[in-house]
Amino acid sequence: MIPAPFDYVRPSTVDEAVQALAAAGEDAKVLAGGQSLLPVLRMRLAAPTTLVDLGRVAELRGVREDGDTLVIGAMTTHYDVQRDALVAEHAALLKGATDTVADPQIRHRGTLGGAIAHADPAGDLLAPVLALDASLVVAGPSGRRTVPAADFFRDLFTTALAPDELLVEIRIPKHTGWRAHYEKFNRVTQAWSMVAVAVTVRTEAGVIEEARVALTNMGSTPVRASGVESALVGVQASADSIAAAASHAAEGTNPPVDGNADVEYRRHLAKVLTGRAIAAAAGA
Amino acid sequence: MTATIEPEVGKSRRRKEDERLITGRTRWTDNITLPGLLHMAILRSPFAHAKIVSIDTSAAKSASGVIAVYTAQDLDPDGAIGMPCAWPITPEMKAPRRPVLAAGTVNFAGEGVAVVVARSSAEAHDALEEIDVEYDELPVILDLEAAIADGAPLVHEDLGTNTSAVWKFDSAEAGTGGNVEDAISSSEVVLKRRFRQQRLVPAFMEPRACVVDPTSTQITMWSATQVPHILRVMSALTLGIPEHKLRVIAPDVGGGFGGKIGVLPEEMMSLLVAQKLGKPVKWNETRSETMLAAHHGRDQIQDITISATRDGRVTGLKVELLANLGAYNGLVGPGVPILGAFMFNAIYKIPAYHFACTNVYTTTTLTDAYRGAGRPEATFAIERIMDELAVELGVDPLELREKNWIKHEEFPFTTVCGLTYDSGNYEAATEKAKQLFDYDGLRAEQEKRRASKDKVQLGIGISTFTEMCGLAPSRVLGSLDMGAGGWEYASIRMLPTGKVEVTTGASAHGQGHETAWSQIVADQLGVAFEDVEILHGDTQSSHKGLDTYGSRSLVVGGIAIVKAAEKVVAKAKPIAAHLLECAEDDLEFAGGKFTVKGTGTSTTMGDVALATFFAHNLPDGVEPSLDSDATFDPENFSFPHGTHLCAAEVDTETGRIKLRSYVCVDDVGVAVNPLIVEGQVHGGLAQGIAQALFEGTEHDESGTLTTGTFADYLLPSAADLPSFTTDRTETPSTTNPLGAKGVGEAGTIASTPAVVNAVIDAVRPFGVNDIEMPLTPMRVWHAIQHGTTDAGGPGRDEAGGGLGSIDATGGAQ
Amino acid sequence: MRLDHEFTVPAPIGEVWQAVVDPERVAPCMPGATLTKVEGDRFSGTVKVKLGPISLLYKGNGEFLEKDEKAHKVTIKASGKDSRGAGTAAATVTLTLTEADGGTHGTVATDLAITGKPAQFGRGLISEVGGKILDTFAGCLSGKLAPAEAAAPVAEPAAEPVPDRAGPAAEPTATAEPVAKPQPAVKPAPTTAEINTEPKAKPAADRPALHSVPAPPETEAIDLLDYAGQSVLKRLAPVLIAVAAVAGLVAIVRALRK
Repeated sequence: MIPAPFDYVRPSTVDEAVQALAAAGEDAKVLAGGQSLLPVLRMRLAAPTTLVDLGRVAELRGVREDGDTLVIGAMTTHYDVQRDALVAEHAALLKGATDTVADPQIRHRGTLGGAIAHADPAGDLLAPVLALDASLVVAGPSGRRTVPAADFFRDLFTTALAPDELLVEIRIPKHTGWRAHYEKFNRVTQAWSMVAVAVTVRTEAGVIEEARVALTNMGSTPVRASGVESALVGVQASADSIAAAASHAAEGTNPPVDGNADVEYRRHLAKVLTGRAIAAAAGA
Repeated sequence: MTATIEPEVGKSRRRKEDERLITGRTRWTDNITLPGLLHMAILRSPFAHAKIVSIDTSAAKSASGVIAVYTAQDLDPDGAIGMPCAWPITPEMKAPRRPVLAAGTVNFAGEGVAVVVARSSAEAHDALEEIDVEYDELPVILDLEAAIADGAPLVHEDLGTNTSAVWKFDSAEAGTGGNVEDAISSSEVVLKRRFRQQRLVPAFMEPRACVVDPTSTQITMWSATQVPHILRVMSALTLGIPEHKLRVIAPDVGGGFGGKIGVLPEEMMSLLVAQKLGKPVKWNETRSETMLAAHHGRDQIQDITISATRDGRVTGLKVELLANLGAYNGLVGPGVPILGAFMFNAIYKIPAYHFACTNVYTTTTLTDAYRGAGRPEATFAIERIMDELAVELGVDPLELREKNWIKHEEFPFTTVCGLTYDSGNYEAATEKAKQLFDYDGLRAEQEKRRASKDKVQLGIGISTFTEMCGLAPSRVLGSLDMGAGGWEYASIRMLPTGKVEVTTGASAHGQGHETAWSQIVADQLGVAFEDVEILHGDTQSSHKGLDTYGSRSLVVGGIAIVKAAEKVVAKAKPIAAHLLECAEDDLEFAGGKFTVKGTGTSTTMGDVALATFFAHNLPDGVEPSLDSDATFDPENFSFPHGTHLCAAEVDTETGRIKLRSYVCVDDVGVAVNPLIVEGQVHGGLAQGIAQALFEGTEHDESGTLTTGTFADYLLPSAADLPSFTTDRTETPSTTNPLGAKGVGEAGTIASTPAVVNAVIDAVRPFGVNDIEMPLTPMRVWHAIQHGTTDAGGPGRDEAGGGLGSIDATGGAQ
Repeated sequence: MRLDHEFTVPAPIGEVWQAVVDPERVAPCMPGATLTKVEGDRFSGTVKVKLGPISLLYKGNGEFLEKDEKAHKVTIKASGKDSRGAGTAAATVTLTLTEADGGTHGTVATDLAITGKPAQFGRGLISEVGGKILDTFAGCLSGKLAPAEAAAPVAEPAAEPVPDRAGPAAEPTATAEPVAKPQPAVKPAPTTAEINTEPKAKPAADRPALHSVPAPPETEAIDLLDYAGQSVLKRLAPVLIAVAAVAGLVAIVRALRK
């Protein structure tokens, strides 16, 4: 059905947007790509008084380099992330994960920043952002601040963003030449992940020098599989070494239970998928 | 006038209707707008079972744009209106009154409680939020077995029970076979299994809608329905509207699958409100509303017992069903399981058979027809248990089937249920399927993978099915207490310019009738395919019919067209003879021409039509009209059959299933349009496979449908399904002049057990002999881990789930 | 669905008992709850539930069904309807106290039933979110029930601060009943590190946003942070899942495309 009535503001700069959000009060919502928000409005599960549409804030779109860091504007669409040469070169994991998000129509509208701010534990972009040690730049009435990804995802649909703050940039340290793979497991194509694993590794002569592994939907937030990471360092990628490392995947996790998977099955999937992701990334 | 050179029937013509449907150049019911149209929105109960203490509509009435707000008190103060059920399966059947809006009690989550009428749809929905309803909750009844247990809380107090009816068939009593208890007790091998047919949502693409215009001489109702004729008659009976003052139109309808067979409270409400206000009104629903309020399908617990000799001859079959009606009886809901009653014996010669079905009420959305309506459930049970029997006996499952099936030479064959299958060739279909499938090659691969304990195991699933369709011989329906006949109607009008108008009582909602009927008429009358116009769906023009369901339109409706065409030709002949100045017997009719035998002298059907129109020179006593109609009552059901083979890979590490290949060879008799047949098979396969692997409703303990969106109620897309290899054999039906058999439901009926059998076959070495549908990766994985039977219930910590009701004991642990 | 929680409070059982039978001290422990009326054992109010983009406002009432002083058992039943008709929520909460090591141990057994849209539009994570809400409830209870010197001054209920976005144990964003005030400027949310070292008396702006009926209740304001270390929260395994709870919201949101 049609959403309940709301006021609509369309700022053109970040400052305008921050002001608009502050002025609109506690029941305002930011509209990024709308792929998560609009269905909620249509189902009348929320009736924000004001929507602050970031669609015209040009400074929030685009990918650029800043020395050793890749900087992605929060309003950059998944489609643009998929096609960006800088992302492909310096953050292959992000591209790989973005390729698995929903379907082309949604990828044309949905944004990286929107997905991150939405913080759905089953969303595919949180684990890569966590694995890549990204920092999130946030703008609010008192200015900007930077939050490391590890501190940004707080809980189910809950981030470090205050209600009057906007996510403006995703800053990713360049992982140039790192190999990556996002292994996603779901029941039908284009559905959310039941469990997914984001792996990126730096290898030299078949030896894994550095590894980053993060899990999707194994908790209320994305989770770094640090046990797996340490088990991979200095390891020659082989079926056995990978299996050994992957066996740590579920450590410390508190997986959710839903119709598709219970705790036991999720933990098991995490291990299996981690093994497959490492094998695909490390080319074993 | 072009004479058709090669026959139309048998041509894979692209469909006439597709261009407008695919490009949206048509009007669906929701597209219809009328001057002064008002919009209805319905407030639905969140509770599955509750007394309505009070409804305060005062705030809603004064909301912006609102014209009126009604409750049951307003629309039916005497409580006299009850939604019709056309199939009381037994004389003792207990049935509650189903009101248009809940009166005093709500009996399922989603039942309508009040209706807002406003100037716009948005305002109507906004005003729903202003209605305040006070409920007193009552116990929720979800589980079938709990519902019939002693002391169970009742869905309908006034019925005194949750059991609506018990329907039985016994071959010994009917004189069509032996006594099943004797067979079972004297057989060397007896197997019992319990299967669960989960509840499904028909999930047609176009949600329902209806528009009622009371402002002209007839009340006109447009509805996204499969059954405009039945809707007309039932509306007249239900509301007391004079039938001749009511016109029902089914415009283009976006899919039904049985889910749009119904006489809806929403349709009755629209009629009542429109008449009350004297203004046109529209009701439509969003997807989330239709998931809840439109009827569901399947939902049975099946206890099957099969007995056999050690060398593999089936001696008896006993079927005991518990069927979930939901909270009310749908239009044909009680009869759906009964339609399957005659199909459990399937293609096999089973000497003794017993069937008993108990229909039970629960506080859930009502169930009614859904693609296959009773026959998929039956085919699933028999094809699954045949595989189980094969394992028990240590024989190849295809060999076991062949040993027991009706041989080609034995047709026509009267089964243990008393049905006479007219024709069939199970051997030919199976042989072809095996080849296309590389059955032996895949069995060899399966062995290799088992021996090497490959992480990916391979399973082969078989489903050799038949089904009874082409509903139906009216006398049989009468004997089953179904409140309607099974005939179909067609009329053919020869226009002066040689074009042809055909009205059909069939009501297409995606089946391609306009194309297939044009092909038939083109052949029968020798006119061009493009010169035939098929009219349907409007009771004012295609005024007579029994609509579309049960794979009946071709084998009943199409035959009516043939009969009408024959009459047209018969009327044309004397006129042609007169025009050609010869005797009728000297004329032959072929390729659209009446030719004097042995000469080149001829006149076309078009010439005759024009001459008839002028009527300047007609023989004495001949009416100036070639127009003819026919009402055809079939003498038997039609019995398509087929062999379906499915190869499924199971990733034992994750439980994920990948369908490597799916081959089906179906025999639908003579195919009028093989492209349409293939389309029907593809669609049917998708839905049958979806039941096996993806779909299934879930309710929580409050009785709320928790699979209320496609995020949770999973429909596969083409990306989730393999490319199907479809082929046909053609064993013409002997009971109709086209030799055709129905195809609309066949794919769905056959495929579900083929897929489930394949997966079970793959994981049997782990000690698994059943997994409950849908076979989710988690269920498969748990089954492999625990090696138990009936493994992989819903998530271990979870209640309910796949049973569509709450099973506090969960799956097997 | 059934949820079980426990807590421990360093206060004598008698004192704790007095607190748990007082609606004005117990009801506000529900995240996002506001009491509008208290009459003896009955109370009315609202609970605003926000999770991600979803926001629902349940209006309803409750009562203390049973107060058994001897067994130290109290049963509260509460139910409400979403103000926009999205469905209903009902909970029966049974609190049982026992003496333990000089303090009091409490168990909270909740039967939670959610109907309508939150339940329909998704399932899964019910126990998670339901559990989190009850986590907060139980945690808040233990905070409230601890000896009175704990409470630090809080700003007027009207100026509602940003809900604390603490670490993993934080509840879903629950805000108090809006009292039409403009949003005050808010400090950046503290990071995890800050949370753990937060002193007792904090500026109002950092308080979790839970309050009750206006008036003095400064002393009853909940300060989770003060007692985070003193209470032991355990969540026993949920027994049955079904769907329900605000948890359904998660599933709904789950149902959304990014």
